[in-house]
Amino acid sequence: MQVMPFWGCMIPLKYPQMESAVRYSLTKLEIELVDDSRFSCCPDPIYFKAGDKMRWFTLAARNIAIAEERGLDIITMCSGCTATLCEVNHHLKHDEKLRDKINENLKSIGREYKGSIRVRHLVTMLRDDVGLEKIADSVKYRLENIKIAIHYGCHLLKPSEIMNVEDPLVPKILAELIRVTGATPVNHQEYLMCCGKACQEQQLSLNMSHAVFQSVADSEADCLGLICPTCFDSFDLGQLRVNRNFSKKFEIPVIYYFQLLALAQGASLENVGIKFHKIMPEEFIKRLNTTLVTA
Amino acid sequence: MKKINYEFREKLNQTLGGFSHNYCYQCGACVADCPAHRFLPEFNPRAIILQALYGFEEELIGPDSMIWNCTNCYNCYERCPQAVNPIEVIIALKNMCREKGTNPPSVDNIIERVKSSGVTVTKTELVKRRRQELGLPEFEINCSDDLEKIFNK
Repeated sequence: MQVMPFWGCMIPLKYPQMESAVRYSLTKLEIELVDDSRFSCCPDPIYFKAGDKMRWFTLAARNIAIAEERGLDIITMCSGCTATLCEVNHHLKHDEKLRDKINENLKSIGREYKGSIRVRHLVTMLRDDVGLEKIADSVKYRLENIKIAIHYGCHLLKPSEIMNVEDPLVPKILAELIRVTGATPVNHQEYLMCCGKACQEQQLSLNMSHAVFQSVADSEADCLGLICPTCFDSFDLGQLRVNRNFSKKFEIPVIYYFQLLALAQGASLENVGIKFHKIMPEEFIKRLNTTLVTA
Repeated sequence: MKKINYEFREKLNQTLGGFSHNYCYQCGACVADCPAHRFLPEFNPRAIILQALYGFEEELIGPDSMIWNCTNCYNCYERCPQAVNPIEVIIALKNMCREKGTNPPSVDNIIERVKSSGVTVTKTELVKRRRQELGLPEFEINCSDDLEKIFNK
């Protein structure tokens, strides 16, 4: 199976350990990644869309048109890229007037949006095209003693009529994907909370993240698991800010789902760049090591 | 007493994504599930939509507008029984702010970065080394010709 990875900006240029983990996992699942250096930023669904919506459509349509040229679906590894590319793909497929306008903008660069491919977050593609069973078969070390608090983030599931993944009020996709690694997904009070990254007032962002940390700390989880580099930013680096702001001592390791999957599939802690995380308590590394050795 | 600003209302109606507030019957379902409202009660999507219906320009797109505290979570989009999609109206208002020059600098910064480099994150030596350590190829971006044309149009 071939797909085009849309890495975005945050993963390759800030958190390359996520890219490393995804590449490892997908090799194990016999999915071939066809990279293309012509992609630009998705562009960002918060600030760029808020400042220049027409160009936001045009640049996203250009990215999709590049994949159309190769006849391959796009997979996204960042919820922000998912938001932009899925939304633009949806609107341009359904709104002929808008599509004509955007294609007029693309004429100057000799491209055309056709509406011939799908864009999905990698977790959705894994669930729907690869299947949980095949993922379970790729697991070498079951992460039996790891409990993971889930953070869905906002843009994998919403708006649901566009994303079409599942009901955003009772999602289960990440719990299912965690379970196949042998780890235990933990429901906690604030698992549907937003990471808060997009709010202008910093205190508001910190309050949202703080609510998530408190909720994870009150649960039995060993770490916080997520699928978006922006949420990761709010919770890894952001945990230092929240601790300072609230005089707290949270020490919750934050893990990108594909780091977990790659570890379960046989990757080393070095392969998935664990040491690049700001918050990574010794105790958690020990726990991971025991799991990977005793399995 | 404040007066309805018909001119502003019309301008918003003509902006991409800025029409659906006309279907709002002020039920407040959006407020109950808004995380920004939960931690900052002054941010109220129902009140913002009401201001949009009145056309209160200064409150909505003035330099002190509350709309920039929207966290873009799309809960209001999911909850609204009238398909008002408050978040999309807020985004339309944000685009009007940029036309007026009242948006926060972060918006211009991001657009400028994409315009000049194709991406929003600056390439650093640190991450370049990390990529090498992880055995990843150098991350290349070849979109500048296309982007220049799109931005100069």
